[in-house]
Amino acid sequence: MMTYKDLSTTPAGSEGPILRCEGLTKAFGGVNAVNGATFDVPRNKITALIGPNGAGKTTVVNILSGAMKSDSGTVHLGSTDVTNMDRAKIARLGLMRTFQLSRELGGLSVLENLLVAPKVQAGESIFNIFFRPRLVKREERQNIERATEILRTYGLYDLRDNWARELSGGQKKLLEISRGVMASPSVFLLDEPMAGVNPALIERIGGYILDMKAQGVTVLMIEHNLNVVERICDNVIVLAEGKTLATGKLSELRQNKEVVTAYLGEVINASTGH
Amino acid sequence: MAQFWYYVFTLVFFLFDYFILAMGLNIQYGETGVMNFAYIGFVAIGSYVTGAVSLPNSVGTGQQYIFGWNIPFPFNLIMGGIAAMLLAVVVAFIALRRLRTDYLAMVLFALSFVLYDIINNYPRLFNGADGLYNVAEPMTGVFHMSTNSFVIFFSLVTAAISLILWAVMSRITRSPLGRTFRAIRDDADVASALGKGVFRYQLTSMLIGSFFAGIGGGLIIQFGGSFNPSAWLPGETFVVFAVIIVGGVGNNVGLLVGALLVETLLIHLPAFLPDIPGRPGLIEYFSAMVIGIVLMAMLWFRPQGMLPERVRKFPAPAGELLNRDGHSVVAPTPVEAVATTNSAAQVADAHEGNDA
Repeated sequence: MMTYKDLSTTPAGSEGPILRCEGLTKAFGGVNAVNGATFDVPRNKITALIGPNGAGKTTVVNILSGAMKSDSGTVHLGSTDVTNMDRAKIARLGLMRTFQLSRELGGLSVLENLLVAPKVQAGESIFNIFFRPRLVKREERQNIERATEILRTYGLYDLRDNWARELSGGQKKLLEISRGVMASPSVFLLDEPMAGVNPALIERIGGYILDMKAQGVTVLMIEHNLNVVERICDNVIVLAEGKTLATGKLSELRQNKEVVTAYLGEVINASTGH
Repeated sequence: MAQFWYYVFTLVFFLFDYFILAMGLNIQYGETGVMNFAYIGFVAIGSYVTGAVSLPNSVGTGQQYIFGWNIPFPFNLIMGGIAAMLLAVVVAFIALRRLRTDYLAMVLFALSFVLYDIINNYPRLFNGADGLYNVAEPMTGVFHMSTNSFVIFFSLVTAAISLILWAVMSRITRSPLGRTFRAIRDDADVASALGKGVFRYQLTSMLIGSFFAGIGGGLIIQFGGSFNPSAWLPGETFVVFAVIIVGGVGNNVGLLVGALLVETLLIHLPAFLPDIPGRPGLIEYFSAMVIGIVLMAMLWFRPQGMLPERVRKFPAPAGELLNRDGHSVVAPTPVEAVATTNSAAQVADAHEGNDA
């Protein structure tokens, strides 16, 4: 089995929730997309973020990852306040994300998509390129070995020299997740990783997420597939109208009338055709 | 015969000079995605500074300019490159920090007009609309060269400089830094989400490209001995864009092909053709039209250029056994295959665990 090297890197502090949001708000024009969302993401667990369309799930993920600034509220990654921090800095603190629609780096090869992921590389410095070439070469060799190992695990190895833009939708999903893994995250935000992929691939992606947890990665995933949520997630956060409606295990939330009314009833009805 | 070689080596000079200019714009636009519509301004600054530092004190020369330090070749050229880099720092902080894509391009284009007007209308900098002239041909005294032999000599010097710069540029574009540039070009948001400080890398790319622009501009004033605003109208930037689009964005060898086709064959070669009787200047206008048509044709039918960007391949890790196609002999499970992996089994285990 592949080992996720360096995944022990965690933000300062090793106790309590790894991610804590308090009173997040975000409005677009007159619409409150996020309206006081407050929740904790427990360390080394898989947490699902669920809710009806328009509940503000992706906006919350955008705020957590620094892609969007909140109007108010705070976000802590471990003990570090990352509220409205530059997204590259948040990433360097160990928080990675994927996007709802896969965003591969199309002008790079599949292997290069992974090689670009390590956050700090000696070869990204002009000085090192010309005056410390051995260091650059050694690090590059190590990165290639690790990327190769990850591509094997994710079944993308034979495509390593293809342009990433040439991959199929499912392959792009896998590439995006494997690229995040290559970056050695401590927290991985997955925005609908199972959306639009075939059932066999859903099984595999679920397995990869469990692998990440086993290696000490905390996962927060937006997901509508409740079967998957039930099978792999330790904890569920329900968002509705930009607020946290409830948190807990899915089996407990099924008994919660508010949750059933706001979301679960809708999903259950949709899946049974009523 | 001597005149023939004068023409040929003048074309050789412009071929390699535009190769340098194209490499500079390519790292900004082709590799990093910064659409620098002010590029010709960086070329001009390199040219003016190279000339002004190599000229003697302006008193009694009939010209007005700053510097006048008698700096010899190639140090004046390097100073021209550095001056263009300093301009890049200013421009980057004005335009790059907050703007992207088309907005950035518009602001840069406007900046090139501002720069043009300042230099054209403020003669104390670089002699205003008259520009700098009487810039000495480098090393003619050392080798006792005539004008014709200087053209041959300096064309070869320019070719040598361009090959050195090509080696430098290739090393950068093949490095992890070049890869990060291309990641930013493809999707700056994703690069940022991977922890890359986009502004920092765009600034680095701007600095490298501007140095090349400054060197290319410096070589122009050293070759011709003069440089004035008519040589760098803001629209000239698009000639360099045409070179890289025709040659192949992101391919350093393609840039040489682009420089040969656009700059040498379409722009400078027609200038040496005799005028059509009764139609003076028609050939020049015609060549500008041909460039436009070639550019449109390339963008329609071959947008990747004559020599497209190639996928970067890496050697397999040590101990890897590859078949003749370069694929591993221990083939992993194809992506779309039915899930029979350990990971799938773990999902099943987890499911059972939940049931329990």
